[in-house]
Amino acid sequence: MLAAAARGRPPAAIYSSEAVYEAERSRLFPRTWQFLAHESEIPAPGDFVVRRILDDSFIVARDDHGTVRVLLNVCLHRGMQVCRSELGNTSHFRCPYHNWTYRNTGELVGVPFHAEAYGGEAGLPKAERSLIRPRHESYRGMIFACLHPAAPSLADYLGDYRFFLDFYLHQSDSGAQFAGPQRWLIHSNWKIGAENFAGDSYHTPHTHASIVEIGLFREPRANKRKEGATYQVGPGGGTTYKLPAEDARQNLGYVGYPVEMIDRMQAAWTPGQLELAGRGRFMVSASTLFPNLSLVHNWPQVDADGLVVPFISVRLWQPAGPGETEVLSWFVVDSQAPDWFKAASYRAYLLCFGSSGMFEQDDVENWTSITSMSRGYLSSSVLLDSTMGLAAPPPPAPVAWPAPGTAHVGFGEYGQRAFLRRWAAYCAAGPGQPVAEPDQEARLCADPGSPGYRAVAG
Amino acid sequence: MEEQGRRLDVHEQHSVEQFLYDEAALLDRLRYRDWLGLLHADIRYRMPVRVSTARGRPDQLATMDHYDEDLYGLTKRVERLETDQAWTEEPPSRPRRFVTNVRGFWRSDGDLTVFSSLLLFRSRGDMREPEWVSAGRQDRLRPAGSGYLIACRDITVDESVLRTQNLALFI
Repeated sequence: MLAAAARGRPPAAIYSSEAVYEAERSRLFPRTWQFLAHESEIPAPGDFVVRRILDDSFIVARDDHGTVRVLLNVCLHRGMQVCRSELGNTSHFRCPYHNWTYRNTGELVGVPFHAEAYGGEAGLPKAERSLIRPRHESYRGMIFACLHPAAPSLADYLGDYRFFLDFYLHQSDSGAQFAGPQRWLIHSNWKIGAENFAGDSYHTPHTHASIVEIGLFREPRANKRKEGATYQVGPGGGTTYKLPAEDARQNLGYVGYPVEMIDRMQAAWTPGQLELAGRGRFMVSASTLFPNLSLVHNWPQVDADGLVVPFISVRLWQPAGPGETEVLSWFVVDSQAPDWFKAASYRAYLLCFGSSGMFEQDDVENWTSITSMSRGYLSSSVLLDSTMGLAAPPPPAPVAWPAPGTAHVGFGEYGQRAFLRRWAAYCAAGPGQPVAEPDQEARLCADPGSPGYRAVAG
Repeated sequence: MEEQGRRLDVHEQHSVEQFLYDEAALLDRLRYRDWLGLLHADIRYRMPVRVSTARGRPDQLATMDHYDEDLYGLTKRVERLETDQAWTEEPPSRPRRFVTNVRGFWRSDGDLTVFSSLLLFRSRGDMREPEWVSAGRQDRLRPAGSGYLIACRDITVDESVLRTQNLALFI
């Protein structure tokens, strides 16, 4: 099953199988860096949010000294969930069961009748009962945790994918602010959304035909998609749109950024990033960081006068079982953006993505159906087809890729296959075994001499 | 407190209830274009995200909504549902809206503040479990002709994590 998936022919069962889910639960999720929260969600000392990694609950808090803490939300006494709010501000967390009380650093500071019940420190050393703190690291304010002590650092894990993350998160030196999340449960396997954002530019003109039809976008049907490139780099991959100008400032203006924001992007981005959006004419759109974090950037018309404003969303496909996913969807905007832009961009986000978003509505309808169909005796064994671009690649575009990773112009399921290869590598690695770095597809299939295929390494 | 002003008398109460029932009937029958006709040009249609927090703390996110729409946004959503390619409602769901607990008050500017409870039942396809959305609504109704226009709708949804695949249906 894993080998077939890695070749781009995943059996449908991977979207509902209990055994597959168990492998993901025990082998994949603990060994990958999992996004929990953005620092802008907990700006003040004492602020906290509660987030999950599958069935583990974590408190993400800013302590009284301003340090970000990630604490397993489980009392060391009887395993009670210590904090049962989704967010708030507090210096201490008190377990309701027996009043064990923890500082927001995780230290146990209060045990009722400590002397009488336990014989004091000799019987129960409080320092040995701090809330469990998993590894956590941040990138551009995004707080990630990793439950496996031997996994690589976040920086090593992200690698050159940071080049692409920065388009969403580093539009100025102050960085982004996150609002949300909207949360809702869908009857869908978590991978389907992740694969979609990792490279499915092919679905846009069809799944989202209604949005094209109502004129929410300027561009004619599918055109901006088929000229775009998809890219794969390390644990990430995504899609881009082709823009009209060979100048980054003009293209950023075309998608609706005001001059003052463009000035800040120009100062914040590297020459390579500016070249991708400039001479390369590619603007980032959907993207997935393996395994279950996706980002999206698009630019609808937000009023009857045709004002075009871009928005950014970050979303987590949080598994809640083999066929259930909780979606957590944030609106993201540069913290220095002018207020009018933040307001208009927020409206653009709500129209397109999130619990009421018109793109999201039709995506989830498809993903729910795929998950449901994958349960059949016969249908679970169907080898789905993610081979686009392997046999008959689309024509190459005469364009360099001034960015890390591998890129292809036009439709192709390169990103989905890269996702599945990585997914298979994690699921195959048993306890104590290292996760093999998945093969590069170029070694499997690329034919540099083919007139229809172009892979450019960064 | 929003429950200010004179409470509606029995005739006014009847007229407001009938308006809300008629609105629900239009939506249940998928007559979205007609529903748009009940909205004031300056409507604000908002559903903040609800959260679990300690008692006494705000239980809505200040900076995130499930909906925050003006007439443009609502019209675009209706136009989309009128295409035959809005897959999340093609084939359409079978919705039923239950409107109860209607309470109304006159505002000093001549509009009405109307509270109601809404339970939306959504049956979709043949094999899926039905979905429910429970919410409170605070409407600002503006008398217009023989009826009203909805000038503002604030929706207080009762789940922090929605158990519906999306909010394609209006609340």
